[in-house]
Amino acid sequence: MTQQTWDEVGGLLPHDEFRAASEAIVANIEQVIEGKTATVRLALAVLLAEGHLLIEDVPGVGKTKLAKALARSIDCSVRRIQFTPDLLPSDVTGVSVYNQETHDFEFRPGAVFANLVVGDEINRASPKTQSALLECMEERQVTVDGVTYQLQTPFMVIATQNPIEMEGTYPLPEAQRDRFTARIAMGYPDVGAELAMLDGHGATDPLDQLRPVSDAATVRRLIATVRQVHVADAVKQYAIDLVTATREAPDLRLGASPRATLQLLRTARAVAALEGRDYVLPDDLQALAVPVLAHRIIPTADAQLARRTTDAIVSDLVHRLPLPNDRKRSPYDTRPAGGNGRGPYEPRRP
Amino acid sequence: MTRHRNLGLVAAGATLLAAAPLSAIFEHWTWLIESAIAVGVVAGAAALARALRAPLWGQVLGMLAGLTLALTWLFPAGSEILAVLPTPATFAHFSELLGGSVRDMRSYGVEVPDTPPLLFITVLGVGAVAVVVDLLTVGLRRPALAGLPMLAIYSVPVAVYVDNVPPVPFVIGAVGYLWLLGADNVDRVRRFGRRFTGDGRDVDVWEASPLAAAGRRLAVLGVAVAVLLPLVPVPGMNGSLLDSLSSGNGSGNGTGRPGQGGAPGKIDLFAALSGQLNESEVADLVKVTTNEPSPFYLRFGVADELKSSGFEVTNPTGRPVTRDLPNPTVRDVGGVERRQYEATVEVTRDLDMPLLPVYSEPIRTEDLNSSWLYDDDRQIVFSNRENSRGKRYSFDYVRSTYSPAALRAARKLPADHPLVRRQQTKTPPVPQVTELVNRLVQGKATEYDKVRAIYDYFSSDNGFSYQLRTEGGTSGEDIVDFLTNKVGFCQQYAAAMGWLVRAAGIPARVAFGFTSGSNRNGNTYTLTNRNLHAWTEVYFDGIGWVPFDATPAYGVPGSTRSTWAPDTDAPDPLPDQPGAPNTGTDPEESPGAVGSEREDQDTDAGLALGEETPTEQAPVWPWWAAGSLLLLLVLALPALRRLALRRRRGRRAPAAVAATEPDVGVGPAAGRRMVVVGADADQARADAHAVWDELLDTLVDYRVPVDRTETPRATADRLIGGVLSGHAESVDAMRLLGRAEERARYARDPLTGEPLAPALRAVRGTLAAAAGRRTRLLAAVLPPSVLQRWRLTVADASGRMVAVTGQARHRLLRWNPRRLLADRAAR
Repeated sequence: MTQQTWDEVGGLLPHDEFRAASEAIVANIEQVIEGKTATVRLALAVLLAEGHLLIEDVPGVGKTKLAKALARSIDCSVRRIQFTPDLLPSDVTGVSVYNQETHDFEFRPGAVFANLVVGDEINRASPKTQSALLECMEERQVTVDGVTYQLQTPFMVIATQNPIEMEGTYPLPEAQRDRFTARIAMGYPDVGAELAMLDGHGATDPLDQLRPVSDAATVRRLIATVRQVHVADAVKQYAIDLVTATREAPDLRLGASPRATLQLLRTARAVAALEGRDYVLPDDLQALAVPVLAHRIIPTADAQLARRTTDAIVSDLVHRLPLPNDRKRSPYDTRPAGGNGRGPYEPRRP
Repeated sequence: MTRHRNLGLVAAGATLLAAAPLSAIFEHWTWLIESAIAVGVVAGAAALARALRAPLWGQVLGMLAGLTLALTWLFPAGSEILAVLPTPATFAHFSELLGGSVRDMRSYGVEVPDTPPLLFITVLGVGAVAVVVDLLTVGLRRPALAGLPMLAIYSVPVAVYVDNVPPVPFVIGAVGYLWLLGADNVDRVRRFGRRFTGDGRDVDVWEASPLAAAGRRLAVLGVAVAVLLPLVPVPGMNGSLLDSLSSGNGSGNGTGRPGQGGAPGKIDLFAALSGQLNESEVADLVKVTTNEPSPFYLRFGVADELKSSGFEVTNPTGRPVTRDLPNPTVRDVGGVERRQYEATVEVTRDLDMPLLPVYSEPIRTEDLNSSWLYDDDRQIVFSNRENSRGKRYSFDYVRSTYSPAALRAARKLPADHPLVRRQQTKTPPVPQVTELVNRLVQGKATEYDKVRAIYDYFSSDNGFSYQLRTEGGTSGEDIVDFLTNKVGFCQQYAAAMGWLVRAAGIPARVAFGFTSGSNRNGNTYTLTNRNLHAWTEVYFDGIGWVPFDATPAYGVPGSTRSTWAPDTDAPDPLPDQPGAPNTGTDPEESPGAVGSEREDQDTDAGLALGEETPTEQAPVWPWWAAGSLLLLLVLALPALRRLALRRRRGRRAPAAVAATEPDVGVGPAAGRRMVVVGADADQARADAHAVWDELLDTLVDYRVPVDRTETPRATADRLIGGVLSGHAESVDAMRLLGRAEERARYARDPLTGEPLAPALRAVRGTLAAAAGRRTRLLAAVLPPSVLQRWRLTVADASGRMVAVTGQARHRLLRWNPRRLLADRAAR
């Protein structure tokens, strides 16, 4: 198995080729998932940002369908893991078995050895099994019996989970959730889309007719291009402000991690590139704040009692946080001087 | 109870502080001591009543009883029991004192001496205020109302000094009031809980709470505004402090007495023994018409207290001029001829004194109200409330002329004569003067001969000459310097002669007034500041005050000499020899008008008039015009600033030309970046920022909300969806502006080659059209963007200042001694 290491991404794609490739993937997925362009683009952005995607929603809105459609649109190796309570870590990572012919132990790769790994109903597996994903998701490698195996590029875990059911599920541990770049919700389709779905899906499953429109090599080039997107200092500052604000917010017990900052910017790059820009805007960060940050933070007991969801808290922060302006102090800044870069919840010192 | 006691003490202290303005009225500080005793007794009575848990009316009764006891002890009638318990005689005495106080108020000018009636009414007033303040503060818990009785005290000096009241006592009084408010508030807070700072620390009793900082700042600001507001010179408003401050110089040795200082139109009544006359301008001060053929000097002031630097004015006492004035013809003395004349005086607006010029001695006045008082002894007309500006009045007067023989007949004053008792013969001890006087009066038998010897001494034969400036000396005594240098003007001559005559044991004083001047039109004399003059008056027993003018006549236009005091320098045949006075009888009875012929010289200004006396009434309208212009300018400042800002930004952002930049997307051909930025990228960035700033300011001006959390793109979208919707051109322009700013801020390469200025104009036009008329007007006249920025700057500065002072105060508080006194348990 010739493994390509992570950094060996392909060359840059010209603008129009990038656009064509990315639009083709989006259009392909949209044959299956109608009326969810934004969600689909976000899913693609996570792929291009070299991240992992957690799709969380009620049953039956097409979580698994989106995951499968994305996987099928790209001509690369796809594995699916159905997370069940009796799933073992070795089923995920792989196991060494004794080969009687060679009289040696032989590594049998698990399900994660693929470009796209679809983990369905991830919260139904025990934390023990869920933890098997920790190493591969962050470090893109698997270590079994002291031997480390690199994973392929691109590598993306698309997991789905159901937030409603509590019985027989194991909520993802914080460390695991932090490894998912973004958590998206599908949401119900609007009336028109649902009607089209009835028409189209009535007889056959469109997923079956889905043909790949891209391949791993193209995706690698897409990723390489995304990495070149420019991020101005002000935008970096804004990302830091945003993450700092979650750490200082009184409603939150746990704020976002530095990894979150990193992934926020990466995803923002991908979104910018998908929109045809070669620079990131604070608008991108604002749009991504909820998908990227909300699943990592933990509200305080008070906020939970007040039924404030993490989505609401993060979106509230985004609306309060002033844009960093490194040119000069804005005349509309009503806070005392030197307040730039300070979270809105900084306690007042007398 | 402890709290009540504390608050009661604060109320007493605040009352005393509020009484500070009375210091401007009294000459001495006795009133303060007696008032403090009364207030202390009242506070003690209140505390006692409260300790006994007396009801409110009981407390009031207790305080009134305390005040009565204090008054009884301070102003006894002699029949009290145990010196403090009043008897009916005491109350009779009180009512007498009250009557007397009314009389004294009318007769004394400020600053008043310590007369028992005046002290009584003062202590009674302050004590009553203390009762009311205590009642309002502790009893009714309405300390804000306590400001009214305190204000009543303050209104006393205001009523006395019409022009200006010294600001310092007002500040002290205000501090007392604020103290009361603060103490009450602290007490209130402590009633229901603890005092704490914003960061959760407790505040000690002795500490000022940081949470109340805004209130304290407001209080200080209020007092400062109240003090400083009168300083702002407003045309047409008199008595502005600034006027008197700026004109304090040039008027010789100012005594600084209220109403007699160097304010414009005010004459410094101080006969200095050294100084310089500095009169560059001539102003008509008085126009006098009299039927006396050749009148002696017009008089208005008297200085009768001798200091080593000269004669000083003391406070006159008197009775209203509307009553009959003493007629000197009743004390008929042989050799003194008295004739009655009448005169009309018109004072111009340039003479502003609490005194009126009259010929001595007036016996009846017309057109003057009862606020003008006449001092019998000093023979002057004065007022504590009014001033002479623009007054016109007439009076009858008696002119006395004295024959030397009659004067020579005057005996030496007995030692118990009131004038001797009032130290009118007292001089500072200067041995050289005593020696000189002893030499001059040696062998002179009569008082008149002694005076003449001294008078004659100031002659040109002895080297005395007239000069507008004295010369310095090394003796340390102005009098010795003058007698050595022998040059000076009327003040020195009058004061020196007065001194010498006093040294000879004869009462003397310096009178101020006008000579008859050189501008005579029929019976009317127009007198200017150059005719101001000072001369000596000597008291002869049984005759009265007799004028002597020792100043060399050639320096004084309109100088008038008399038979009893002839011109010592005149080359006349009179056997006037210094040291050998004329002993012969002078046949001439009428005062000889030996007016100097050198009137054209016209140099003697006699007395220094406060500078800034305009030659003629300056028209007021330029002031108003300049003021209005200044006001307009100040009002126009924000608009001008806005214009300047717009111009600067506009200059920076020309419709940038050239710059053919292909829309740089993601990675052009095979990873080669081929960005061609025509114009300078930095310049393009700056232009975009300038235009964006201008757009934001425009938004603020037109009351379109500006959100700091919004990105340029979001702002543009909001405007496009809101105000600009429907205006295709503006929508495109706005999109362009948003894109330009966004690229300038966040992209590698800014947008160039787009005409930003026209886009801005289009957006601006649409915004203006959408705004109401009022908003448009405000945006043009008082642009909110500029005002907001200024406000922000001020807020920043004040915030920094508060932080700095807060730290300093915190450090200082460590050394606060009250920290040791405060019982922390009482918190």
